[in-house]
Amino acid sequence: MDLQTYNILVTIWPVLIPLALAAITACLWQSPTAQRAVGMIGLLALLGSSLALVDAVTRYDILAVEFGSWPVPFGISFVADRLSAAMVAIAATLAFCVGLYALCEMRRVHISGGFYPLFFGMVTGVNGAFLTGDIFNLYVWFEVMLVTSLGLLVLGKTKAQIDGAVKYAILNLIGTVFFLIAVGLLYGAAGTLAFADLARVLPTLDASPGLVATAVLFLCAFGIKAGFFPLFFWLPASYPTAPFAISAIFAGLLTKVGVYAAFRVFTLLFEVENSGIREIVAIVAAFTMVIGVMGAASQWSMRKILSFHIVSQIGYIMMGLAIATPLAMAGAVFYIIHHIIVKANLFLLAGVVRHASGSDDVRKSGGMLKTHPWLAVLFLIPALSLAGLPPLSGFWAKFLVIDASFKADMGWLAGVALFTGLLTLYSMMKIWMEAFWKAPAIERKAVRSVPTIMVAPVVILAAITVTIGFWAEPFIAYSQMASVTLTDPSVYVQAIFNNPIQVGRFNP
Amino acid sequence: MPFEISLATILIVAFAGSIASFFILPRFGKLSGPVAALLPAGLFAAFIAYLPSLATDEQIVTHTQQVNWVPSIDVNLALRLDGFSMLFALLITGIAALVVLYAAAYYPDEKANERARFIAFILLFMSAMLGAVLSDNVIALFIFWEMTSLISFMLIGFKSTSAAARKAALQSLIITAGGGLALFGGLLIAGMEAGTFSLSAMTADPEGLAASPWFAIMVALILLGAFTKSAQFPFHFWLPNAMQAPTPASAYLHSATMVKLGIYLLARFDPVLSQSTTVLNIMLGFGLVTMLVAAYNAIRTDGLKSMLAYSTVASLGILVTLIALEGPGASIGVAGFILAHALYKAALFFSAGIVIHATGKPKVADVHGLLYVFPITAAATVLASLSMAGLPPFIGFIAKEYVIEAKLEASFVFLVTAATVVVNAVLVAVAGVLALKPFFTGPMLKKSDCIHGETFGMSAGPAVLAILGIALGVFADIPQFLIVGPAAIALNGEPFYVSFELWAGITPMLLLSILVVAVGGVFIWQWGRLRRLVAHLAPIEKLSAERGYYFLFDGLLALSKGTTRTVQNGSMRSYVVTTIGVVAVALIYGIVVGFAGTNGFGDVSALVTQPIRPYLLIVCLLVAASAVVASISRSLVVAVVAVGLLGYGIALVFLMNGAPDLALTQFSVETLFVVIVMAVLVKLPTIAIRRGDHGRFDFRPGDALLSIAFALTVFVVVLSIATKPFDLTVTQYFAERSLSDAFGRNVVNVILVDFRALDTLGEIAVVAFAAISVWGLLSIRKTALPETSGDSTVTMPSLIFVTTARFFFVIMIAVSIFVLFRGHNEPGGGFIGGLIASAGFAVLALALGVNFAQKRLWLHPIVVMGIGLVLAIVSGLPGAWLNGSFLTHQWGDLNLGFTSIKIGTTMIFDLGVFLTVLGGVLAFMVRVQQQNALVIHREKATAETGPTLQGVQQ
Amino acid sequence: MTVVYAAMISIIAGAGIYMLLARNLVRMILGIALLAAGANVVIFLSGRLGSVAPPIIERGTEGLAQTAANSLPQALVLTAIVIGFALTAFAIALAVKAYSSFQTLDTAAMTAAEGEQG
Repeated sequence: MDLQTYNILVTIWPVLIPLALAAITACLWQSPTAQRAVGMIGLLALLGSSLALVDAVTRYDILAVEFGSWPVPFGISFVADRLSAAMVAIAATLAFCVGLYALCEMRRVHISGGFYPLFFGMVTGVNGAFLTGDIFNLYVWFEVMLVTSLGLLVLGKTKAQIDGAVKYAILNLIGTVFFLIAVGLLYGAAGTLAFADLARVLPTLDASPGLVATAVLFLCAFGIKAGFFPLFFWLPASYPTAPFAISAIFAGLLTKVGVYAAFRVFTLLFEVENSGIREIVAIVAAFTMVIGVMGAASQWSMRKILSFHIVSQIGYIMMGLAIATPLAMAGAVFYIIHHIIVKANLFLLAGVVRHASGSDDVRKSGGMLKTHPWLAVLFLIPALSLAGLPPLSGFWAKFLVIDASFKADMGWLAGVALFTGLLTLYSMMKIWMEAFWKAPAIERKAVRSVPTIMVAPVVILAAITVTIGFWAEPFIAYSQMASVTLTDPSVYVQAIFNNPIQVGRFNP
Repeated sequence: MPFEISLATILIVAFAGSIASFFILPRFGKLSGPVAALLPAGLFAAFIAYLPSLATDEQIVTHTQQVNWVPSIDVNLALRLDGFSMLFALLITGIAALVVLYAAAYYPDEKANERARFIAFILLFMSAMLGAVLSDNVIALFIFWEMTSLISFMLIGFKSTSAAARKAALQSLIITAGGGLALFGGLLIAGMEAGTFSLSAMTADPEGLAASPWFAIMVALILLGAFTKSAQFPFHFWLPNAMQAPTPASAYLHSATMVKLGIYLLARFDPVLSQSTTVLNIMLGFGLVTMLVAAYNAIRTDGLKSMLAYSTVASLGILVTLIALEGPGASIGVAGFILAHALYKAALFFSAGIVIHATGKPKVADVHGLLYVFPITAAATVLASLSMAGLPPFIGFIAKEYVIEAKLEASFVFLVTAATVVVNAVLVAVAGVLALKPFFTGPMLKKSDCIHGETFGMSAGPAVLAILGIALGVFADIPQFLIVGPAAIALNGEPFYVSFELWAGITPMLLLSILVVAVGGVFIWQWGRLRRLVAHLAPIEKLSAERGYYFLFDGLLALSKGTTRTVQNGSMRSYVVTTIGVVAVALIYGIVVGFAGTNGFGDVSALVTQPIRPYLLIVCLLVAASAVVASISRSLVVAVVAVGLLGYGIALVFLMNGAPDLALTQFSVETLFVVIVMAVLVKLPTIAIRRGDHGRFDFRPGDALLSIAFALTVFVVVLSIATKPFDLTVTQYFAERSLSDAFGRNVVNVILVDFRALDTLGEIAVVAFAAISVWGLLSIRKTALPETSGDSTVTMPSLIFVTTARFFFVIMIAVSIFVLFRGHNEPGGGFIGGLIASAGFAVLALALGVNFAQKRLWLHPIVVMGIGLVLAIVSGLPGAWLNGSFLTHQWGDLNLGFTSIKIGTTMIFDLGVFLTVLGGVLAFMVRVQQQNALVIHREKATAETGPTLQGVQQ
Repeated sequence: MTVVYAAMISIIAGAGIYMLLARNLVRMILGIALLAAGANVVIFLSGRLGSVAPPIIERGTEGLAQTAANSLPQALVLTAIVIGFALTAFAIALAVKAYSSFQTLDTAAMTAAEGEQG
């Protein structure tokens, strides 16, 4: 197969494979075992193809594929640059680990409720959102993501899940409707839908109430998706109710898609400098960090603590968009990569802890340092990384964004970030002291052992975290290269219009 | 030098060894102490090998080695060994060896695993300390710095089941790690301003940093880091609390090494700090206050270990003041005092540990008469105390001479000197009390009175250190040339002759230290009275720093709880109101900013000239009216009907603007929607029965206001977009290529299945997943319903109805397929076709029951959708291989003799759409029917007393 | 006509918001349905209106008549309609389920997810 076809295929596989898997598992409706088997094989294939995509973008910088071979801006195109490729690869890694975990956690009720088709459907939507080069197509993938995540959320059909799902559904539906309106307005203003073409046309239009309003409307829509302050209510309400595997993949991917979209739209289409959006983002980021971490500090249920941390960490990532220097963008990219792995891992760990100690409320558990010393180590790795303790991955992530904010003369933002780090450390150590150090609240005669298949994904993700931490150079270098397309849209536009399949190297 | 092992190797060996020890030590049982001691001893030897090369006062010798780590952000392991680092390296490794031996004896054999873990932590800590004092890259230094804080946390809380230990551990972590974060900020600023993270480069050009506008903030942050780590007032209190740690850890971390890291950092940054006398005076002030507060507490407290802890705090205060003082004398003082203090303080901790361990009594008052049981320990303690008291010929004496000498050069001589004298006198007293009380006072005890007697493992440590204390004093030229000298030179920045000797003649320093000893003696003599006197000062406790800490920290937690309760309050309404409010504000902001930009609207005159189409106007009014009705009517049924009407109205708008496909879809979807909602509403409360909800209208003034405001913003925004000129390039491309390249006359359909087929693929995926979700959500246990419930709905329908139903079914399926295939050229297509087909099945279900309809479908509805999706994907695959592009449709001519039709993969795609829609709608209908059947069933079961409906209106 | 459409859209949107602010779950869902309908008209209007000829190429002609309506927004709206329908249908199902677990449609009475705080 020639190079061009290969590049095309690696670019579309991350969406086609999960979509096909969803369809096939739907056809295998009556046979859970078959669904499991097909699922795991497919996840491996997805992982492989995603890594192939990363490899391809490191060689050709930007890959663009036109569906139906209709040229941009007339047809829909997929665009893979370093950022989207990284997101796809992380998503695949996560999907694989969660898939493993799910083998153990998902009961018959979940599978007959359609776990596998919905799970793969969600991955499809996520990857589609990461890869698409068309704003309306992005809307479609958002909806795929939304409906599948809703389906996954209610699989258990407990009261808490239904309540959580209601809040999740209503608030996110509001979000997507506003997103749709914004897309419509954008089309009305520019007459085109492809990112690259919009990036070419929009600067030529003069500012108008409609256009600025469209921009802020996008910000709100993505804010709801990503969980900015004060639009994150649905998140702590719904995530802690889902099964651990599901809340893990949610925690890892869903909000990041919103963040990713915000980065795409506000680097390619609307630059943050004009119309005071930059200042807004900075303030929003600060509040998101603080309010989120305060929520975490005030909770005792492990999953609630973690859910609030998602919010506060989103704030850190938003710093990158607020500062918008190459360093900041690189920091944001690195932060997303690190955070997805760590946060998903912590949710899986919450599941393991719950399994081992019998409770999600850390006050009720305890003594696990004695009973599960290995688990203690496995917990410390992502926990300390989340808190940004060196030399784990979180430290480098914070290093980059904080350094960037100092260099951009936004010392106050750096201060907020550092303060948030302290409370993050506190809330993680709270879990440590309650669940692992203190004597168990209820004495158990028999130690509950944890099945290997449940621990395996945790180990894999922890290993990745440690790798990023101790061998940060390649990841930081990659992020710096990835920040090029974010800080200089012209690179992106030219890549699409000049040569859709591959473009020459460029230097950051 | 052949014996010199590279610094990187040393560091790697240290870390590798200590991590390995976690796993191997438990195997060695009794021997784990000696085995573990090999690592620090070996490292100690490795550093000794470097000693000769440093032993010169002609120039400053530094060994450096660069190991790249994260070059792209200038974070590397730039290792640097000079005299000052050497001083620390020797203390860190040397004392570590003794601590490990001590710890091995400290833990009884039955706790072998705990002991192994403890020792491993000690070794890991040692490695982190080495890393900190060896790195010249400030970020690397910070990384090791934070490691020490974390390991300290682990060791303080080592007795993890004790609540007090956990509390102290968390407190120390919050303070030291919090200070660490401040330090991090300071170092980042320093790096930004200096353009490098190299410590030596920063201190080489201190003027540069001093000139930067960030200087004040930078210094403040760095001081914060150093003060928290080195337990300076007002952060000192964590150190005495840290005595919760097992004594070996206290001896090592909290007296000899970790707490000195802050001092180390200050000493290293001294060139920068001394750029401003204000900074130096601030340091001086904090040092003095720390000294005095610590001295006061040392007298007040009654625990052996806490007494030592406070004396340590006092010593750290002395060191900070020393760094604040200029001149080579100060640097000798710093180096010498660090050495002397580490030796005697570790020794005293060791012996205190022995006493507590052997008697089980942690308080000074309770221990006595241990001389005969612990002769060696007693001797060691006496020697160490004498060194601490600063009597000749101990190294403590020499060190204090230089400390006092430096103080005499201070700017406010009298104040500083007075404080120094008092505090040192208190230290003398503490030393005396600790040496005399446990061993020489009270009735003498026999071995049988104690838990255990003298053990080699435990007494070796204090003995060795105590002997070193006197030996290095007597042979003062050893430290002078090998240790203190090089360190002092490295600190001072340029070479000078370092004098470090016992007898310097009759100097003011000598007189002062005689005074100190004399006052100290009085203190010992009057110890009891002194304590009672201090006890009168108890009221100051009210404003102790620790209370301040808890005030802030608990306050912060309370604030967090409060904020969270308000923000994440669990009330749906407040969430929705906030969300919509934010969006409304955002839109208004956008409009305002936008108008600030150039012309708000496009050509407005066109709006006036535009012809108004009367019928269309009426339709629009109808739509608007039904919207209003839907929103304010209290009855849900009315609301649903209104929404349906609104949908139909919009469909008309589409139809009258040249969008037949759209109109068709809108009509069918709206119908389906209304039918479904009605079907479920039958089982839901449609009228509120909550008191106070009377009246036919649901009017909420506040909400109405928000809604109107929102509506207005939308109006402005939409208008300002729609009045601008529009670029039709994309549409024209479709118009030209639709037939020639995509072989379809119905451009909209061609766009759906070809130009933007990916959207459609995603769209049917949404339909499928929604159906699957509903299928799972509304599933009911098999036992919940009788088998027959799905067969026939309410009553047995008439024969005519059944036959006509079957007839209609066939017709509708046929029509649906026809619509499906003509879609490419005329209005229609897969989606409409699918809807019509599912309507056919609906008719069948109505007549003969859902089960029958499902049987007619042959396959499970979900499976039908699966197949539909597969087809849609497959239709794109040929293109992927032939044209190298997914969803590039392939065409061929099918010759039927009389005519030939174009057959394309688009048909497969459209068929996929058809099946997915069919399966999805059917799945939904089945579930809804089952739910209703279930409710009917339940109502039958519960004898016409179903669940009380309490739906509310607003 | 543009003004009329804009006014219609804004009234639909306002009504939708108003329904969203209610406490009855079904009412909120209807509100979202209204907003979605409004969004569709926005897209439709964004393609600029005026022509009444459908974008269908006459038999015997190769290209589309210049007078034909803008086809792209029609396709977009068609997709949006279907997606919106699928989601609102799910939401209705969710409401049914919520009613059977909480015996009410009052969102204020649904507090299972965040019962105990801190």
